[in-house]
Amino acid sequence: MRDLLTWLLFFFVLIALLGIVVYQLMCLADLEFDYINPYDSASRINRVIMPEFISQGVLCFLYLITGHWFMSLLSGPYLYYNVRLYTRRQHLIDVTEIFNLLNWEKKQRLIKLGYLIFLLFVSLFWMIWCVLEEDEHAL
Amino acid sequence: MKTMGTENSNGPNFPQRPAAPPFAAASQSATPFLSSGPVVGSEASAFRAMPPGATQTAGPFVSSGPVLGSEAFGVRPMQSGRSNDPSMPPPSSYVPPQVGSFQHFPMPQFSSTASVPPPRTSPPGQPFSSPPFRPPGSHISSPPASFNPQPRTPSVPMGFPPKSINHMPPGMNVPPTSTDSPFSTSGPTLQPLQSAFPGHSIRPSNAVSQPPPVQSSPFVAHPGGYAPPPSQPATSASFLAQRGGYVTPPSVAAPPAAAYSKEQLQHQGSRPVMGGVQGLTEDFNSLSLASVPGSLESVLDSKALARPLEGDVEPKAFSDMYPMNCNSRYLRLTTSAIPNSQSLVSRWHLPLGVVVCPLAEAPDGEEVPVINFVSTGIIRCRRCRTYVNPYVTFTDGGRKWRCNICALLNDVPGDYFAPLDANGRRVDLIERPELTKGSVEFVAPTEYMVRPPMPPLYFFLIDVSISAVRSGMLEVVAETIKSCLDRLPGYPRTQIGFITFDSTLHFYNIKSSLAQPQMMVVSDLDDIFVPLPDDLLVNLSESRSVVDAFLDSLPSMFQDNVNVESAFGPAFKAAFMVMSQLGGKLLIFQNTLPSLGIGRLRLRGDDIHVYGTDKEHALRISEDPFYKQMAADCTKYQIAVNVYAFSDKYTDIASLGTLAKYTGGQVYYYPSFQSSTQKDKLRHELARDLMRETAWEAVMRIRCGKGVKFTSYHGNFMLRSTDLLALPAVDCDKAYAMEMSLEETLLTNQIVYFQVALLYTASCGERRIRVHTAAAPVVADLGEMYRQADTGAIVSLLCRLAIERTLSYKLEETRNSVLQRIVKALREYRNLYACSIAWQGG
Repeated sequence: MRDLLTWLLFFFVLIALLGIVVYQLMCLADLEFDYINPYDSASRINRVIMPEFISQGVLCFLYLITGHWFMSLLSGPYLYYNVRLYTRRQHLIDVTEIFNLLNWEKKQRLIKLGYLIFLLFVSLFWMIWCVLEEDEHAL
Repeated sequence: MKTMGTENSNGPNFPQRPAAPPFAAASQSATPFLSSGPVVGSEASAFRAMPPGATQTAGPFVSSGPVLGSEAFGVRPMQSGRSNDPSMPPPSSYVPPQVGSFQHFPMPQFSSTASVPPPRTSPPGQPFSSPPFRPPGSHISSPPASFNPQPRTPSVPMGFPPKSINHMPPGMNVPPTSTDSPFSTSGPTLQPLQSAFPGHSIRPSNAVSQPPPVQSSPFVAHPGGYAPPPSQPATSASFLAQRGGYVTPPSVAAPPAAAYSKEQLQHQGSRPVMGGVQGLTEDFNSLSLASVPGSLESVLDSKALARPLEGDVEPKAFSDMYPMNCNSRYLRLTTSAIPNSQSLVSRWHLPLGVVVCPLAEAPDGEEVPVINFVSTGIIRCRRCRTYVNPYVTFTDGGRKWRCNICALLNDVPGDYFAPLDANGRRVDLIERPELTKGSVEFVAPTEYMVRPPMPPLYFFLIDVSISAVRSGMLEVVAETIKSCLDRLPGYPRTQIGFITFDSTLHFYNIKSSLAQPQMMVVSDLDDIFVPLPDDLLVNLSESRSVVDAFLDSLPSMFQDNVNVESAFGPAFKAAFMVMSQLGGKLLIFQNTLPSLGIGRLRLRGDDIHVYGTDKEHALRISEDPFYKQMAADCTKYQIAVNVYAFSDKYTDIASLGTLAKYTGGQVYYYPSFQSSTQKDKLRHELARDLMRETAWEAVMRIRCGKGVKFTSYHGNFMLRSTDLLALPAVDCDKAYAMEMSLEETLLTNQIVYFQVALLYTASCGERRIRVHTAAAPVVADLGEMYRQADTGAIVSLLCRLAIERTLSYKLEETRNSVLQRIVKALREYRNLYACSIAWQGG
């Protein structure tokens, strides 16, 4: 039962992360199609960048302490990438360079999106397996 | 964004709807024109009109650190507006002047070589007149010692008629004319030309008489920081190296000017003295018109080869072909023949793009006509929003017009209608300058404005620390500003304001009713506030006498100032706060490294070990994100920043210059400024800065026909949208470069059209749109592209690309990349005619 709950928690955190990344992608797409100006776009994206990093870190940590080290390993690269961006101070969007770097930023986020979806499916699968196993045991 | 979200934006930001802001939604939230109460809260208690002396704190005496010969270490004004300066004026200075003209140059090493006697024999080779190429004279703001050959070297070819780009490193050619016999037979002029034309035979005895290559001296002197090669053997050695390289593949034989300085250094003294001379003699004697393996026969008439024009001359043939194009001072294509396929683009290794100078000064008689479409509104294409231009075609009896850029058929509004004559042209063409001239100006109606047109506004942020006073800068600046007050554009609406600072900020109340300006000192640097809600920025004509009194007393006020600190960041923020309502032009005069408050910089250029390593490029980027952030904010509020930096120590131009770079401003750098020597330069440049024709709160966009798109933009501006340049203040000296690429693999149309539109507020208060239109044919032949190439534009674009590259890579790598690019282009050119020669040869 506890297992199920933890998996649910992971699931929600992953959904939240997914939401944040999709939000960033939408802001960038809006910028590209001129629905929004670069100042607002940059400030919106920058507002959610740190929450994204922090929640991803928390997720990884949670995986670790609840013993699902495989999942933790899976989200390792993502964490490493975020940390690297942070140390190089490249994690925030720069208003002056945003148009030049637009394609790179979009690509970065698309990859993150793909990664998160993959993680999501794995955890979903694992969660269902857990539930089934529990059922089996209960039976 | 609420309002933005509901707008159905259809791409270009020039709004068609009355209420739509052309500046996107930034203006919604910013509302720069909002007249508000006091900018900051409770300042009343902070009023202090104390004399300057009383507020000077002793402060720790900051030792000035090692005097960095900034020039020696290449701490160059990367952000310098110099390189981003319009291609227009610099090229004009490159027009092949007469031989003697370079002697006007006040540079010692040049004048010494100026008197070099001409060589004995008639130089063979290609006809090249001798425009001594000299460094872009009038536009160098730094003395020769700080001359950075890099950005300059691409300009070397400028003066070289035959093949500006193929031009051979002048350093090589030194055959000191003071040389004696060994060279007499061969003639010193041999080298540059020969090696410059890989694939052309050496024709030493070809009796085409050449003007004496006194220009060899300019070559010698060219590498500004390098002394002219002292010994002839050394030069002959270098020549030998060059010669030896000639017969071998062109990549060795035709190193572009960019590399010569390095080679010259390497070769100097690296070869045996006598042996070199001997070898050269033999070499020269062995030269003949006979075929040398790998060379082209004299069958080839060099004059028949496709090559760009002599130096930087306006392409007459092209402008005759398309008489309705805008004048080339406004818009220059790197080559006026657009390649029709990707493969052709890949063979043209030089940059493909445009250099635009929208407000270039026009001589009398050629001013841009101003048109006011009162009844019809500005005629634009429905789909692509192109402005009506001479290349649109009218059909259906004059009731419809076809856009030349997107080929859409638009309706002609009733008021604009005119029947067509027998040739299909409108009968009222004479009265319609927009249909006959390539450059026109439209008066923009209110839909093109977010706020009422702003008045010209000049704000001065002056550093009054000890070095400013000691070097005499303060005096010169005050004097110059005073003399320009009468001629500031925008009379009588012009506004003006001043802030001075050292370790504290000094605000000046220059209200017109006062007899004397009142000074308010703010020493709280952490919580910056503006002491007065208004009267810091006043109308010049009303407060003229107060401003005059202020400028008169400014030097004497701070004459005894011994403060060494500079609270630049806080002062800048304060100026920003004052100006943020209206925008305008902010001129910063900075004498020391900002040391107090936010935005303080450290002496990072001090460490000489960093140069040449991989970390070097970090020195060229802004150190503190404060500057970029402030620059972005300034652009949002239509503030353009011009930075005047004077210092004999390390001034972090990379950081200070960021302010100018992203706000469409300019950096003026006077290293080791002393008013006794550089007073006139400063005066001249500052006066020009203040008095030149300026356009306010502008945005610019360039459109092109189908099949071509603009991929990157270079210059001092901020990108407001993928293709919209935000320019808070443009003037007649600013130019911008855009690189273009083909969208499709094969272009089917015959002509590509370009249109540049600049929406701005003129100094007189009128909102205008300046439109320049040009057409260029599409070709399938590489030779044609070379024939129509515009060397000035190519060099300008190459320079900008190289400079941007230096922000992420070492200088060495950038030099190499420029080198490689030019070599490849030359190789292609050679191959072009190698084939034809093979055929000719039978």
